[in-house]
Amino acid sequence: MPRTDLLQGTLDLLLLRVLSTGPNHGWGIANRIRQMSADGLAASQGSLYPALHRLELRGDVRSEMTASENNRRARVYTITRAGRKRLESEQRSWERFALSMRRVLDHE
Amino acid sequence: MLNRLRAYIRGVTLRNRIAEELDDEVAFHLQQEIDANVGRGMTPAEAARRARADLGGVAQITESVRELRALPLAKLARDLKYACRSLRAAPGFTMVAVIVLTLGIGSATAVYSLVDGIVLRGLPFRDAGRLVAVGELNFKDPAAFDSRLVAPQNFIDWQARQSVFSGMAAIGYAGVHLRAEGDREPEILRAQAVTSEFFTVLGASPVLGRTFTRENEVAAGARVAVISHGLWQRRFGGAPSVIGQQLPGQLADFEILGVMPASFAYPVGALEPTDVWLPSVFEAEDRVRANSFGYRLQVIARLKDRVSLTQAQAQMDQITAALAAETPRWFTDRRATVEPLQDAVTRPVRRWMLMLLAAVAFVLLIACANLATLMLARVHARGRELVIRSALGASRWDLVRVVLVEGLVLSFAGAALGAFAAWAAVDAVRPLLPAEVPRLGAVAVNLRVLSAAALAAVACALVFTAVPALQFAGRAAGAPAARLLRGNAALPGPRWVRGVFVTVEVALAVVLLVGSGLFVASFARVATVDLGIDPTSVLSVRVRPPVGTCPNQRCTSWEVAQQRNRGLLQEVLDRARATPGVESAAMMHGGLPLRGDLQTIDFGIPGRTLPRGQDLDYNAITPDYFRVLHVPLLRGRSFTDEDRAGSEPVAIINEAAAQRFFPGEDPIGKTISFQGVRRIVGVVGSIRHDGPEANWRRQGFMPFHQSTAVGGTLVVRLSREPGAVLPAIKAAIWSQFPGLGLPDVETLERYRSQLIAERRFNMLAIGLLGMLGIAIACTGIYGVIGYLVTQRTQEIGVRMALGAMPAMILRSVLGHAAVCVLLGLGVGLMGAWLVSTLIAGFLFEIGPHNPIVYAAVAVLLVATGLLAAAVPARRASRVDPLTALRLE
Repeated sequence: MPRTDLLQGTLDLLLLRVLSTGPNHGWGIANRIRQMSADGLAASQGSLYPALHRLELRGDVRSEMTASENNRRARVYTITRAGRKRLESEQRSWERFALSMRRVLDHE
Repeated sequence: MLNRLRAYIRGVTLRNRIAEELDDEVAFHLQQEIDANVGRGMTPAEAARRARADLGGVAQITESVRELRALPLAKLARDLKYACRSLRAAPGFTMVAVIVLTLGIGSATAVYSLVDGIVLRGLPFRDAGRLVAVGELNFKDPAAFDSRLVAPQNFIDWQARQSVFSGMAAIGYAGVHLRAEGDREPEILRAQAVTSEFFTVLGASPVLGRTFTRENEVAAGARVAVISHGLWQRRFGGAPSVIGQQLPGQLADFEILGVMPASFAYPVGALEPTDVWLPSVFEAEDRVRANSFGYRLQVIARLKDRVSLTQAQAQMDQITAALAAETPRWFTDRRATVEPLQDAVTRPVRRWMLMLLAAVAFVLLIACANLATLMLARVHARGRELVIRSALGASRWDLVRVVLVEGLVLSFAGAALGAFAAWAAVDAVRPLLPAEVPRLGAVAVNLRVLSAAALAAVACALVFTAVPALQFAGRAAGAPAARLLRGNAALPGPRWVRGVFVTVEVALAVVLLVGSGLFVASFARVATVDLGIDPTSVLSVRVRPPVGTCPNQRCTSWEVAQQRNRGLLQEVLDRARATPGVESAAMMHGGLPLRGDLQTIDFGIPGRTLPRGQDLDYNAITPDYFRVLHVPLLRGRSFTDEDRAGSEPVAIINEAAAQRFFPGEDPIGKTISFQGVRRIVGVVGSIRHDGPEANWRRQGFMPFHQSTAVGGTLVVRLSREPGAVLPAIKAAIWSQFPGLGLPDVETLERYRSQLIAERRFNMLAIGLLGMLGIAIACTGIYGVIGYLVTQRTQEIGVRMALGAMPAMILRSVLGHAAVCVLLGLGVGLMGAWLVSTLIAGFLFEIGPHNPIVYAAVAVLLVATGLLAAAVPARRASRVDPLTALRLE
């Protein structure tokens, strides 16, 4: 199944959605995106980290250096309350967008 | 909301740590991915390769996160660090650029400090924008009487009738000569006679005591003075007990009423500030509108709130029209003007100062064009760096910023050095300016000037980096990366852009040089004008005993005082003549040539009716006067000691007078009425009394002892340095007039140099700027041709290997330079033709389109331009083909 390139601006939404299921580190997030989309979406890993740091600067997530499962140092990101609010509103607007796209494409 | 703020603050404070931990974060990612890949069954090497490929450039990721996290200031600091590092790596370029910018911004700063201090800065008075100067303009000959002085009659009536000003004050000349007291030499104070509202109009109050009232404006109350802070410190040591003390004048004492603060000065910023203000007293004849006109007052006023300049002007017009109706003899050629005081103060020099500013702007532009060519060459030579930078993810803006920040660093280095140079230069420049330039004392490199220099630096950087930066960033996309990475290959880019900048440089330099040439030629003409006298080694000392008193209380009447004074002056003269180092000496009364004073008296020829208004300059002289000044006797005889009071009244006239009044006749033996009827005994050569730019004046001379002079000026021709003779001369004067103040002790040469000071200054300033301009333009030519040769080294090597002669190479390189120089010269000469008409008013006896000046500039420019190109061109012609080919 070919992977779809991410639409501009959807990466933030994906990151917030993944983090809303629980704190995770960058590699974990990338994996979860692959998993949740059944390998249909791949966040370009190059843009993953700048995006995470941007979200943190914006206050939507916070992060912490912790020891991971296998005792490696990893930065773990947690969604904040502001992040959840943003997730809600962006999710709604994405759904509106997707619905509109569907209507146009299905139009006879 | 609060949460977000907290996160932001945390993010900001953690910036540095997070950035440090970034490497760990990415390393962790890689390790996880490798483990996962191994888990999928790859070999460790394959697992690592795939992990890296999936992640993309580690450096790019960490770099872009750091970029994201960097504070704006930190970004700037980093940019600056890079710029400094890369400039250090190119010391030759950096040095040339900084020198050019130092010269450009430094000269601009120095000139701006002059213009700012003299013209632009506001006057240091409370609410100075409401201050106006009310003047009388002679509308029939506005240029000749530009001082706009006011007759006392008009001031008195204006003041009484106006309702637009909250106050109106008149300022006139006054001299205060202090008697010698104890071991103090007699001192002459710079004084002004002012009406009582002077201080309130200017919004100034004394730090000590009080100022005048109207009661002081009558003779009985006028023996009072308000002194300046400077005089208070100098003469009274700043003691508060000064109020009520007496200033010992030659004729009477002045009671000190008040002391003004240190910040108060009028005129503003004078090099020699006013020491004392006395009440202005209007005599009876100042109040009557008789048939004599004396314009001697400067009038200032403060506009009432909500009264505009136009309204004030309208009312003054109305009042003047009413006065004109009442006294038709007045206001035939005059009207009242109201203008902001700042304009009135700066009017005489505004155009001049703006011209200097324009000249220096040319230098700055040349410097910018020069820097642009240097930057272009530098940018093009950095193709490899460019490719690496954009491969590492530098955006267009990043690339623009690289060039821009380098430009800013260079500019500010130049501005800092330039400001320092300007600060050192201003003190050297100030004495070169004519003393009558207003507010010279206010000229300084201060915060205002420094901010202007900083602004100039930013503007320059923007101007000279714009094109190079866009080229640098613009080439990034299409750059053939592989070729550029290989070696020292240059960016592909139009070569003509650099040529354009050099052409612009040359053109600007030509305009500036033509200006310099015109000023130099003007000065050369002024300096060599035949004055009719030889002013070198002539010292003049004004001896003005107080009128109406006599030194030792033995005089009984005015007549006796006159005769006695003339006797004493003769004694002074005899003693001066006997002084070692004095070649010849004379006493004169009247206007001394070049000193700027003039006395004319009515003149007539018995039996002939001359047209109205014929007058003759009045000079009463002792016999040696013409010998002292080297004025040739053309006909007849000079005066002798036999021409005394009581002997036959005689006169000498000059050639100009002889030609005007006795054309085609011999004036010798004719009688004229010239302070009594006199017989002409001689004709002397004419004198340019008012300086090299003035015409011959019609002058008459009479024997000193046949005049009514009670004072005079001692003129001596010296065979030694003035300083060596002066003490003896002063002693000779004080032996007859003990304790007399000597206000004007000056050589005629010094008076002459003051008269041509503005021209000398212009010649030096514009000449220097012209030299700077051509020097900078030449470094530009040198730089561009040098760069061209470096770029073409291989090509030249190939050509030489194929048998090209060095002369051919030389010609081909020089040809390129010649195109730029000649094109620039053509454009520049045309520009100069247009621009120089603007400075025609500043020139003396030379047209703005003088062909010799233009030709000289063309020759100079072509010669220096080709010389600048010849150095690198010679280098090209000596290229060793083997070395050149090995570069490949």
